[in-house]
Amino acid sequence: MENLPLAQTGAELSIWALFWQAGWVVKLVMLGLLGASVWTWAIIVDKLVAYNRMRAALNRFEQIFWSGQSLEELYRNLSDRKTTGMSAIFVSAMREWKKSFEKGAKSPLALQTRIDKAMDLALTREMERLEGRLGFLATIGSAAPFIGLFGTVVGIMTSFQAIAGSKSTNLAVVAPGIAEALLATAIGLLAAIPAVIAYNKLSSDAGKIAVRMEGFADEFSAILSRQIDEKVAQRA
Amino acid sequence: MKTGLTTSVVLHAAMLGFGLFTLSAPSALEVADVEAFPVDIVPVESITQIQKGDKKAPANEKPAPKPTSRPDIVPDAQNVGDNKIDSDKPATPEPTQKEVDVAAAPPPSPKPEPKPAEKPKPEPAKQAEPKPTPVPATEVTPEPQPKQDVKPDPVAETIVNDQAEAEAVKLPENAPAPEAKPKPPQAQTAKTPDRKQDDKQAQEAASKPKSEEKEFNADEVAALLNKQKPSGGGAKRSTEQASLGGKKDTGGNKLSQSEMDALRGQIQRCWNVPAGAMDGGALKVSVQFKLSQTGEIEGRPEIISGGGAAGIERAAAESARRAVLQCAPYNLPADKYEAWADVIVNFDPSEMF
Repeated sequence: MENLPLAQTGAELSIWALFWQAGWVVKLVMLGLLGASVWTWAIIVDKLVAYNRMRAALNRFEQIFWSGQSLEELYRNLSDRKTTGMSAIFVSAMREWKKSFEKGAKSPLALQTRIDKAMDLALTREMERLEGRLGFLATIGSAAPFIGLFGTVVGIMTSFQAIAGSKSTNLAVVAPGIAEALLATAIGLLAAIPAVIAYNKLSSDAGKIAVRMEGFADEFSAILSRQIDEKVAQRA
Repeated sequence: MKTGLTTSVVLHAAMLGFGLFTLSAPSALEVADVEAFPVDIVPVESITQIQKGDKKAPANEKPAPKPTSRPDIVPDAQNVGDNKIDSDKPATPEPTQKEVDVAAAPPPSPKPEPKPAEKPKPEPAKQAEPKPTPVPATEVTPEPQPKQDVKPDPVAETIVNDQAEAEAVKLPENAPAPEAKPKPPQAQTAKTPDRKQDDKQAQEAASKPKSEEKEFNADEVAALLNKQKPSGGGAKRSTEQASLGGKKDTGGNKLSQSEMDALRGQIQRCWNVPAGAMDGGALKVSVQFKLSQTGEIEGRPEIISGGGAAGIERAAAESARRAVLQCAPYNLPADKYEAWADVIVNFDPSEMF
């Protein structure tokens, strides 16, 4: 016996053939999972690029910020540009400072609070932009195996109905149907595994960036607070 | 986002394209040619007990006697055979009969032929009477030969076709006629030279002296002759292929060792050995009880030996009886009911430890 007759008598078992043999529900599931996989990888690539850029931008800004350059000058440079990350926080805080202080705010305490609020708002906006679409990765990571499993169950159900119809439990009759059904689970896992890994990595990266930005915001808030005190003392 | 999407689509397309070519039909699974290992599961009964079957047939899975050819089924038949009536006598062997048939096929036809021929010609027959004792075969044979030629088939055929019953009906008609006497000796003499091995010859020889003593009637002889196939044996039909076995079931309905062990084990599980009986080898109890076909106990188990009026002996006897009652529905082979309708169980506490 050189070959099992199964391979000859059974239907073709290539991936493409398996896909075309599947029922429409299973096909739909497979196509959906394929789309999810494409979108997942799109997000992964996009986020990786975005986080790299953000890190680079943070480094550059920190370098400029601590280089001893005057804040006024820095603000003038940045205010007319589109800003991201720390620079956005810096610009929003400086704008609030300028608006309130230059018009001669009465209460330094209220000014401090307003600046903090403005920085918080900017930080939240930045984080929102950073972490957007990461939720999709989490969803795919948890749901794709189930969707694939659904396709498998439906496929196996139809293949069992086919067995009942052909009144034969020959492996050659049973195997292709089950193989094509299992393909759905395979695609589901193929989409889910990178999604889960990428979600964990990207969310921890985002967390690190957020910590850096929060640290900068606190530091800048302290600097501004000192400035306010000095200005109040000068006036008095 | 655009860059991400495009890279993703390109990557997927590449993967799919790669998969289409490399993951096409998987290579067939190669299975080493493994020799099948035949295993026979032989129940102990087939060795320890002779089943009904055929002595010459090879051992088969199912014990069965020689297949019978008759299809009709005789109810309540016990013995296997082709007979109409069930009898426990062994079937007479057929092969000898076949030899006779081949040789004897022509002779019966001449015998009946003379009978009708005799009636018109009584005289030549009387002349022939003295001859039978010397029996010169050559002298006698010529006489019937011309008759055979004169009266051929039609009569012979009808008579051959007639069964013994038809001949019996004829008997009364012929009996009074004295002319019929001479013929049978002629017929007999005609036969004797033909073949001396014939079985029927012996019978006819036996009938000769009788005919000498009293009036001899040829038809009577014909009637006495058993034209039926020599037959014995039973009437139970068998369609299975013959397998090795004896004529009868010798112990087919005895419980096999394993069945007895099963029964023993079942009772043992229910038996609480009375405390203090461990050392008492003398506390053996035999319990007899009857079982119905469903395995239920009928009546009360009797203690037929052992046990005592009081004390530990009484406790031992009662525990044995309780054990028998507790295990009550016994699962034993229904076809061997005779073997376990009445059971005696020996309880020996010393064997439990």
